[in-house]
Amino acid sequence: MKSISELTDFYYNRLYPELEILEAQRKAIKKRVINIGIIYLLFVALIALYLYQNVSLDILSFFLIFALACTKWLYAYLIRDYSVDFKEKIIAPLITEIDKTLHYAPTQHISALEFINSRLFGTKIDRIRGNDYVKGKIDNIPIEFSDLFAEKKHTDSKGRESWERVFLGLFIVSEFPKNFHGQTIVLPDSAQKVFGDLIGGWLQKNNSSYGELVKMDNVEFEKEFVVYSTDQIEARYILTPLMMQKLLNFKKRTKHPIYVSFIGGKIYLAIEYNSDMFEASVFHSLLEYKIAMEYIQTLHLAVGIVEELKLNQKLWSKL
Amino acid sequence: MSTPLIILIVVAIILVLMYNSLVAKKNQVDNIFATIDAQLKKRYDLIPNLVAAVSKYMEHEKSILEDITKLRSEANRPNISDKEKIELDSKISSALGSIIVAVEDYPELKANENVMHLQRSLSEIEAQIAAARRAYNQAVTDYNNALEMIPTNIMANAMGYQPKELFVIPENERKNVNVSELFNR
Repeated sequence: MKSISELTDFYYNRLYPELEILEAQRKAIKKRVINIGIIYLLFVALIALYLYQNVSLDILSFFLIFALACTKWLYAYLIRDYSVDFKEKIIAPLITEIDKTLHYAPTQHISALEFINSRLFGTKIDRIRGNDYVKGKIDNIPIEFSDLFAEKKHTDSKGRESWERVFLGLFIVSEFPKNFHGQTIVLPDSAQKVFGDLIGGWLQKNNSSYGELVKMDNVEFEKEFVVYSTDQIEARYILTPLMMQKLLNFKKRTKHPIYVSFIGGKIYLAIEYNSDMFEASVFHSLLEYKIAMEYIQTLHLAVGIVEELKLNQKLWSKL
Repeated sequence: MSTPLIILIVVAIILVLMYNSLVAKKNQVDNIFATIDAQLKKRYDLIPNLVAAVSKYMEHEKSILEDITKLRSEANRPNISDKEKIELDSKISSALGSIIVAVEDYPELKANENVMHLQRSLSEIEAQIAAARRAYNQAVTDYNNALEMIPTNIMANAMGYQPKELFVIPENERKNVNVSELFNR
């Protein structure tokens, strides 16, 4: 697999002609977005003022929510072409550069079934959206990942619907090199952090929907994560001292909460970025180092789990 | 209901809960030990094959091979205590480690499919044993804590529970670099 610096070189050298074209496109669109934005804002403000003075406050708040949704839609509509071009001309070649066998489908995502199979976020998911689906093999190990946005529907006593965000971020599925039969789930340790060891520990113990609580023998790991499993021994067979260290390192590199589960011979890894990754903004230049690094690092991180977690070193019983 | 009766019921419930949690902890330790025992047996069964396969070539390591055969027959004795099992396990682990490291020095052995097969089987079992040992140590720690902490210590004392010993994992697994690499994967 290519290193981050090799990819950065590729980005700034080989992709430079495309970047220049996109940059010109971006500047033109940015101007349009600002112009249309100002007119739109004035328009909204006028209607809002009228509603405030002549009609009820309820209608005003309803209108403002509607206007906000329209803003989002309008922005997406204005930058649509730019966004499609960016994925086709920048993200797609970057992914192929990382590994020739990787396939990229900008509008697809990991299936809802895989997401539910991971057991990481419960089984009641009512809506799943996503994009930037990548699938392929690294060192002969199948891997797939995509942006994913999962939501749950709530209906109150008056029949009003509301949507709760369950997960938004990058979702990775790969094969795990060891045989196991049960399920082992590793979650960020929020209880112990908020309530301390004593009460937090008690809360963890009573959260049995995931299985039995497994206390791990790595202090740092215990602080960051909480482990549940259907089998105390199997959980440790999967989470060897080395694996725990690697997951800790991975957590440090992502700088975001990570959720991991081991079920049915697979490893599921969810990184909660709380934003849609691999999207272009017209307000930031693609030539900016920070922006470029974000795309490259995120891709490298996702594809890199095969090497990072040594998923390519199969125990012989699984060969 | 009178107050003393309520207090009596509450005390009884607490005692039952304490008793049950102690029994659960003890059973957890026993269960995991049973698993380790089964895995250790599986490993002992591989030892004669390994010794037979390598002894033709290994001239300098004859003493290790003799030792390990002796240790194995000791481990297979009936009625040995858990404590002895734990001690034997650590000795056999380190002896097996030395043999596997020594195999590296014999190209004939490295080319021998039978030996390689045995070696891989051993490392797989060793990985499972390592996991089971860690699970056992956690269960024993929970159990020992309950034996020492107030108020379960009084109950445990009355029940005649004795503290149990931990497996010593670290040293010999870390020393044999090659082996521990295989095991910790």
